[in-house]
Amino acid sequence: MWLERLQNIDRRVIYTVLLIVLLGPMIKPIGIPLTINKTTYQMYNLIESLNPQSDIVMLAMDYSVAGAADVHPQAVAVAKHLANRGIKMVMVAFVPDGPMLAERVLNILGDRVTYGEDIVNLGYLSGGESAVKKFIDEPATTFPRDHRGNAISSLPIMSNIKTIHDFSLIVDFQTGSPGYQDFLRQLPAGGPLYAAGIVTVSVPNVMPYLDSGQFAALLPGLRGGAEYEVLIGEPGEGAARMDAQSLGHMVIVTFIIVGNVAYFFSKRQEKSGRR
Amino acid sequence: MKRGVPLLIVFVVGFVMLTTYFIKNPTLGQARTLLNNWGVIVTAFSVGLASVNILRIHSARIANRRSGWINSVALILTMFIFIVVGIYSRHNPDNKAAAQLFSNLFDYAYSPFSATMYAMIAFYVASASYRAFRMRSFEATLLLTAALLVMLGNAPIAEQIWDKFPVIGNWLLNVVNTTGQRGIAIGVAIGGFATSLRILLGFDRGHLGYGE
Repeated sequence: MWLERLQNIDRRVIYTVLLIVLLGPMIKPIGIPLTINKTTYQMYNLIESLNPQSDIVMLAMDYSVAGAADVHPQAVAVAKHLANRGIKMVMVAFVPDGPMLAERVLNILGDRVTYGEDIVNLGYLSGGESAVKKFIDEPATTFPRDHRGNAISSLPIMSNIKTIHDFSLIVDFQTGSPGYQDFLRQLPAGGPLYAAGIVTVSVPNVMPYLDSGQFAALLPGLRGGAEYEVLIGEPGEGAARMDAQSLGHMVIVTFIIVGNVAYFFSKRQEKSGRR
Repeated sequence: MKRGVPLLIVFVVGFVMLTTYFIKNPTLGQARTLLNNWGVIVTAFSVGLASVNILRIHSARIANRRSGWINSVALILTMFIFIVVGIYSRHNPDNKAAAQLFSNLFDYAYSPFSATMYAMIAFYVASASYRAFRMRSFEATLLLTAALLVMLGNAPIAEQIWDKFPVIGNWLLNVVNTTGQRGIAIGVAIGGFATSLRILLGFDRGHLGYGE
């Protein structure tokens, strides 16, 4: 009877337990220690190796609001690191939500950057892979105006951009398509280095690209963002959310183990009953 | 004529895009840029076309008072508010109130709804994984064990319980998973190449709506 019940726990019970476990650390973070993964160090070291005098980084804001919980902390942490180092950033979006999320990053950066000189939000270009290709071919002329309506010619930062080779690094924050495959297909050989911040569910798919060196670095999901925040010494929303995610994982693991233990013993009972 | 012209267009466009990848020729390069720009325009146009389609379908639903028609009213209303405010604020960058209104719509209407829909998946995943991950066979046990180890390897709290969880999780991800993913990627690429070739040569005409 109990074994049967443990194998068929009502989904409302699972939802309630999960909700309580997720809400707790969000209201009062626990501060579970976080070790830094190799991939996050790679991203950090890559940005540390850039030269503030000559290097410009393109931030592709290709994530949707739906996936922002996973990717936005990465974008904020990387932008903060770049701003702290005085490296110029050009934000471009190939998904419609991108420019608004880029504005959120700009609001967080605040006085660390001067808009138009250190950073620009070019806006959104529709067209998926074709749009990616167009920007790679003509980065200086694809957007006549930025997201805020300023003429591109009036922005000092854009005077440094003539071809895609003027970017030293592209960091693509993405939740789907267009994403890493579109960039890797369209970037010219010898072009800028490509790094990505992706949603956790996509991590298994991109591992071969990291292994082959096509990705210069990778930030995996919320954990990547949280680790990056710790690395730059500015724990933020990513680190706070990691407690909730961590406990959420444990709840799921516990339910799976309970279900399987009950399943195992019910099978044993069945067998001994037959004898 | 009805079949030949679209097939010829597909062949010429595909041939130009493919050739310019291997041959550096200024004329072909210009043609490629032009075709790519057309691609961008056509995609942008398709967004408008989709909006008209949504409007047509949901207007009919409202007119016929079909079930859920009130949701269609909400959809059309929201779509128009976003379009009008978005276009107005885009073309009047000096009007700060319009820009603020668009920003508020995005931050306090669109974002919470969108994030909520996505966040609900966590609850479904919890319930579904509890029901689906059962040690019913050797393969299922293998899958279950790998899933648990990767999950535990990704949770900092599990690391506090046993510091080898991340090591095992990363090994599964970096070695076992990468090997499989690489095989899948190569298979998909070969399949994609074969399909592209069939489309270019006109053997596969499904994209033209002929169903052949």
